[in-house]
Amino acid sequence: MRVATIVLLAAVAWPLVRDPLDDGFPLSTYPMFAVARPTTLTMDYALGETRTGERRTLTPGLVGTGEVLQAYALFDRAVHGPREQLQALCTQIAARVARDDDYRDVATIRIVTGRHDAVDYLVRHQIGSEVDRLRCLVLR
Amino acid sequence: MTDMRGRLVACRVLIAGFAAVYTSTRLHELWAIAHLPAAQLEQTGLARFAVPPVVVLACAIVAIAACGVFAAGRWPHVTGPIAALAFVYVFSVRSAYGQIFHTENLVALHLCALAIAAFYDDPKGAVRLLALLTVATYVLAGIAKLRLAGTAWLDGDQLRNQIAVDNLRKALLGGGTAPLATPLLDHPALLAPLSIATLVVELAAPIALLGGRWAVAWVTTAWVFHVGVLLMMWIVFPYPLAGLAFVPLLPVERLRKRLPW
Repeated sequence: MRVATIVLLAAVAWPLVRDPLDDGFPLSTYPMFAVARPTTLTMDYALGETRTGERRTLTPGLVGTGEVLQAYALFDRAVHGPREQLQALCTQIAARVARDDDYRDVATIRIVTGRHDAVDYLVRHQIGSEVDRLRCLVLR
Repeated sequence: MTDMRGRLVACRVLIAGFAAVYTSTRLHELWAIAHLPAAQLEQTGLARFAVPPVVVLACAIVAIAACGVFAAGRWPHVTGPIAALAFVYVFSVRSAYGQIFHTENLVALHLCALAIAAFYDDPKGAVRLLALLTVATYVLAGIAKLRLAGTAWLDGDQLRNQIAVDNLRKALLGGGTAPLATPLLDHPALLAPLSIATLVVELAAPIALLGGRWAVAWVTTAWVFHVGVLLMMWIVFPYPLAGLAFVPLLPVERLRKRLPW
């Protein structure tokens, strides 16, 4: 048991000699929260737009994953990948929105790149800039 | 005298039982993840290449069954390693599509340790290994903050930015914001003490190895820390929040005497 203990603990400690940003599973450098970041965030995401032009945020489930962070990665890759990938993602989201009664007022899906100051957005409700990457209609 | 055999049994039941239940609750998400484009897979842990979704689902079901049977103490030489391998594989897949999660690391490590322990008749050594793994993960998280941020971590600005950006991402992606996020961002003076407290909890984890009141005090503090993370960022660490990350450090064998295990 002693040898097994030493081997397992050495494996767990091994990330200490790696780049702290070279994360893994289940042997992790645990970099979460440790990386310095500004409050200004530029990211890609989808919005619903109603017929009257109102802006609606969409749940990660409508994007095709139950996880916010995976939705984040999905948009990042789709926006910066081939155009067909972005088109496919937009169409899939529109199809899910069309089936969801909670979003029956949404007529268009906008995939945007938004730039916001996090404190301004959350505390002062000031929305930053949002640039359309692709728009697709919700067909019902 | 401490009943280490009893504590090891209690740890196996609670940890493997948790792994079975937790994997069950993730089946739907795992199924969805397994449908993501193969090109998006980044090699992580045991997930080296994309496989058909049904394979991921089958491995998850094997993990659930093996963890359940292992928790019950049946055929531990077989069910222990299968439970550990299947769990590590399934949650490697979960972390292979753009976001490495840190919610399952300690469960996976504890399962590996329990699987190894099944081959030895050394309950004291096995419980010590489980306890050391718990402590090590917290110390590593503390060291990561010092390696990446240094003393700049202590002034609270970095924690404020983390809370702000994390909650903004969730707000934009429709996940909702945490209840304490906006009040804390509105009163940033509170964040420096919270940053210092975070680092102290993580780096002071080894005091829990002293046992007794030291262990109880550290476990309580670490649990409160996770409640804080939940309320500030909506990040759920189910394993420590349920108290199971800490069972090797606590006299859970007393609990066992009251239950028909």
